[in-house]
Amino acid sequence: MTAPILTVQGVHRTFGSGPAAVHALRDISFEVEPGTMVALVGRSGSGKTTLLNVIGGLDRPDEGAVTVDGVDVTALDEDGLSQLRRERVSYVFQTFGLIPVLSAAENVGVPLRLARAEPKERERRVELLLDLVGLSGHAAQRPGELSGGQQQRVAIARALAASPRLLIADEPTGQLDAETGLAVMALIRGIVESEGVTALVSTHDPVMMALADRVVRIADGQLVP
Amino acid sequence: MIALLARRARAQWPLLASLLAVLTIGATLLGTCALLVTRTSERAVEVAAARATADDVEVTAYTVEIPPGNARSVAADTREILAASIEPFPAALTTRASSVMRALPGDGREAYLSGVEGLSARSTLISGRWPRAAGDTSAGRPLEAAIFDNTARLLGLKVGSRIRLGAELTVDPAGPVTVTVVGLVHPLPDAGWDRDPLGGEGFDPDPSDAAFGRKMQAYGPFLVDLADLLASGSALDRLEVNARPDLADPKARDLDTLSASVLGADARLAAKLTGRVRVERVSSALPGTLAGARDQQELTAEAVLALALIGIVLTAIALALAGRLATGVRADESELLSALGTSRRQFAAAATVEALALAVLAVALAVPASAALHAALTRIPPLSGAGLAARPAVTGPQVLSVAGGALVLAVLLISLAVWPAASSGDRRSRRELLARSGADLLLVALAGVGWWQLTTQPAGAGTRADAVRVLAPALLLTAGTALALRLVPPALNRAERLAARTRGLVAPLATVQAARRPQAVAAGLLIGLGCAAATFGAAFDDTWHAAQHDQADLAVGTDLSVVLGAPPLTGQSTAVAAAVGGVVSPVAEHTVAVGQWLGGAGAAPRLLALDTRKAAAVLRGRGDWPSVAKPLIPATPVPGIALPRGFVPVISGTATDNAAVTVTPFLVLEDATGLRTACSGTAVPLDGHAYPVPGCVPDDGLRLVAVALPVSGVPGGWAAVSTVDVGLTVPGGATADKWGVKAASPESGQLSGTTVAIAGGRLRMTGTVKFAEPIAASRTFVATAFGNPGPVPIAISTRLAGDVSAQVGSKLSLTYGVTPVDAVVTEVVPAIPSAPGAAAAMADVDSLSRALISRGDLDSPVTAWWAGHPRADAAARVAGLHVGPTITRAGETERLTGSPLRASVPAVLRLLVAAAVVLLLGGVVLHVTCDVQLRALEVARLRGLGMSRRSIRRALLGEHAAVLLPLLVAGAAVGALATRVVAPLMIRSDTGGAPIPAAHAHWPWLTEGLLFGLLVAGTGLAVFAVVTVQARRADAAHLRVA
Repeated sequence: MTAPILTVQGVHRTFGSGPAAVHALRDISFEVEPGTMVALVGRSGSGKTTLLNVIGGLDRPDEGAVTVDGVDVTALDEDGLSQLRRERVSYVFQTFGLIPVLSAAENVGVPLRLARAEPKERERRVELLLDLVGLSGHAAQRPGELSGGQQQRVAIARALAASPRLLIADEPTGQLDAETGLAVMALIRGIVESEGVTALVSTHDPVMMALADRVVRIADGQLVP
Repeated sequence: MIALLARRARAQWPLLASLLAVLTIGATLLGTCALLVTRTSERAVEVAAARATADDVEVTAYTVEIPPGNARSVAADTREILAASIEPFPAALTTRASSVMRALPGDGREAYLSGVEGLSARSTLISGRWPRAAGDTSAGRPLEAAIFDNTARLLGLKVGSRIRLGAELTVDPAGPVTVTVVGLVHPLPDAGWDRDPLGGEGFDPDPSDAAFGRKMQAYGPFLVDLADLLASGSALDRLEVNARPDLADPKARDLDTLSASVLGADARLAAKLTGRVRVERVSSALPGTLAGARDQQELTAEAVLALALIGIVLTAIALALAGRLATGVRADESELLSALGTSRRQFAAAATVEALALAVLAVALAVPASAALHAALTRIPPLSGAGLAARPAVTGPQVLSVAGGALVLAVLLISLAVWPAASSGDRRSRRELLARSGADLLLVALAGVGWWQLTTQPAGAGTRADAVRVLAPALLLTAGTALALRLVPPALNRAERLAARTRGLVAPLATVQAARRPQAVAAGLLIGLGCAAATFGAAFDDTWHAAQHDQADLAVGTDLSVVLGAPPLTGQSTAVAAAVGGVVSPVAEHTVAVGQWLGGAGAAPRLLALDTRKAAAVLRGRGDWPSVAKPLIPATPVPGIALPRGFVPVISGTATDNAAVTVTPFLVLEDATGLRTACSGTAVPLDGHAYPVPGCVPDDGLRLVAVALPVSGVPGGWAAVSTVDVGLTVPGGATADKWGVKAASPESGQLSGTTVAIAGGRLRMTGTVKFAEPIAASRTFVATAFGNPGPVPIAISTRLAGDVSAQVGSKLSLTYGVTPVDAVVTEVVPAIPSAPGAAAAMADVDSLSRALISRGDLDSPVTAWWAGHPRADAAARVAGLHVGPTITRAGETERLTGSPLRASVPAVLRLLVAAAVVLLLGGVVLHVTCDVQLRALEVARLRGLGMSRRSIRRALLGEHAAVLLPLLVAGAAVGALATRVVAPLMIRSDTGGAPIPAAHAHWPWLTEGLLFGLLVAGTGLAVFAVVTVQARRADAAHLRVA
């Protein structure tokens, strides 16, 4: 049996204190096998984004542990977390998260620059990734000149640029119409299969859930069967 | 809608506060400038009037030839007219009158009576007492009189003497009067005696207005009580009433009334005195003084407006940036409201309500703020030094300016809200790019027209406010900044391309953000123009001050000038030199005729003569004066014959054919400073007897350099000829080395065979005299200790050279007074010290004096004393000598830079620099803060991509530095360029013409360095603080918002 790529153990996260305290996550524990696509499902406010932020090291749990690719995320300092996100974990945001003044190719190249890749290697990989997401002809266009689906595909290409072990996508189809959303999810599915990446995707769309290898449900900050 | 606006205002109060701050700054600037050009400007006229010298404000009525019966009524009516003309100001009136000449006992002598109010302030009592009113003069009671000490000596009178003045020398003479001398007085210098018939000299051997053309010697005045004179039945030759208005606390409105009233006084006096006097005239410099103040007021207002306009443009740009950033921050909200169905009209209405509310608040803040700022400005130099300190006050023009300015800025805000700019990241559309290019081209074209008009404005432009001079500086700075901004994007693009080649993200991200974000260009105009305005303001201040210094230097020509109220007296140089210190030179300044050319209207050519050996120490003004003066220095000094103090020369002589010939000895003495004065004796007959010439050598160190002997006599007809032999005793040991003799007027042919010799302690002159010419001057021996002086070398101004078509080597024939002087041009210079812009010439005073003496003109040409490097208290010490008014270079500089009428210019320059710095730094903070808000999510996502806070901070700092530093440098370059091409053209003289010498641009490196350092440090601090906060906030919380 292969070791899990992601282990979440007894994670608690509370915002505020006293009577106004909001328990966003309560005793969350689960594991994710490498090379799988896991759908994190729950209603708005159920704690999906908080859980993804904790896993990606953008937020810290009050209690519990998160291990990504053998690295204890909760034990990392600021620099360690930055390194984790540069090398092992990638994000795809609901609102795409592209830098408006950069072209599609430049946006894809951001993680490679953070990794200080050779310029030629960077250009080759950017070209490859844009081809992978079907945007070879849109490399010089800026986000404002692309459709929502195209922007999200650029975001996925960017997320894959640094060859992460774990791809975290926070409602990647939330701002897309059903058809485009399905195409994007299919793209992620295809990438998981072709690139061997593990994907943890939050969604509340049952159609999207069908593409996942496994579904993890969360409600009121707790996993539900 | 109102509720929505109110809630939005609560939520976005920092943004609204920044908009309000910019609006308030602009409105405050306008209000302050409005107060400067109205309240302070009017106050400046009042202070200038209060500080004007007596000569500038006094009003004098002159009446001439008043018949005996009219004296009292003419005096009373003249005083009444003058007093009425001065209203509503109180005035001190003084009257002086002189009678027509009366015959004195003995042939060929005349004298006159004078009544002078305030006699004790104009002379010192040497012995006796002041004369009292005799009361009823018709009863034949003698009049009490005081006379000058030298008059008493010449007439042999003393206190207690009684003398009978004969009938008046007129066609209808009044009878004799008897006067008793009750006091001997000595006239004080600079006390108005220049208006005495004999100039306060007490004696004139050859008065120009001698009655009936007879050879007369005039004595006087016999100073009697004025009322007695008016009641004495004497005809008056002249009567003057002088009024000195008390302008201690004037109101500008009253000053205008006063000016108009004084201008009309002449006509009113003429109407009042019709038929009772031959000539009447009211003369005063007051209307000219007040008109000059008004002209200066307009010039200063123009400069203030021009500089204020730069501040207003800067404010408008700051507001445009703030408004644009506000619409950027509200873009999502606007999108939502638009999606909910809000129409463009509703957006406009909301924007109007918000902008007007901000404008009202800004007005409410700016009115007291501008009043307080104005009051504070007036309490610091230079306005405080100019006597313009004022309490905070609110005026109508100020409120109107503030409200108008706030309204215009509010309209700008509305238009920005209604037509928002494209969002960040978008490429500029072709239309936008064309519009911006068109705006830039229009700006450049307008600036070009402004600059062209500035360069072609006439040198003698008047003082009316000129729209071009008001608009041009702001236009040129804005256009220059817009052009400079055009250079920044290519530079950033180049930097971006270079950075793209690197491996890392920090540099490429910083340069890409700097090069591609449109807000950076928008902020660029504010930052570039702010820096340009601040550096231009500081440099213009320096240039303006330097130009005033240059003008003052050339206008005065030296460090300190004492303008003599009367011809210099022997020994005066010692007293002046002791009082002044430094290097002192006698100076002759006089108008001259060049050939037949007398100059244009009001612009007679002038001749300045000084001791050119001291040019380096004495002369001031732009120019290499030592080298200009070098060819003017006389080749050899004049040795002369040293005379011991108290030496009394004795004259004696003979004339052939038993002729009754007389000579009047004139001795020219030179002191150690080169001052030459003439001393004359009375006419003596050439009868073989010896006659002393006393009182000529009052001091040590005097040398006899010339002797002139006009020969008079009627030896028996016009065809008579006499050979005269005249000797003058001199100290033993003197030799005739270099002495020569000639006729003062050789062209008259009345004197021939002249010789001079010195032997046995006697200077002897001989010659043959004809008597065909009636004027004694045509038979004047002139023996000098210097040979033929030849033409006087002169340097002339460019204007004179142009007027008379002269060049180096040209020989000119000057007429100095009535004496011809030959001159040769050695150099043509832009201007002559003390005569900026005038047709003028400069010569050596020794050379000029030799030329005048050799033509028999023995009167000293010296009219002033100039001093270089005088002692600190020189002006006060010279004033104690009562020799004449003192003008100092420092005083003239102070007048030009710190006078109430001009002090607003440096004050508003400081205001401009401060406003530019505040607006620039405020704009930077606003720009960076809005950037934080707009890009918070983007920065958080960078964190999500694995970028460390440190790298984010470095990228943001690099981005802002890449934008701000080039903008600051470009702004400073525009400021420097504007200083070079515009500042000298903006500076005008106090009369509105081009300054002379022409203004040169000054770039104060230290001040500019400090200013630039302040801007860089302030900008860097603001950016660092905001970026640090921004990087710290880039966390999951922002991602949660998404």
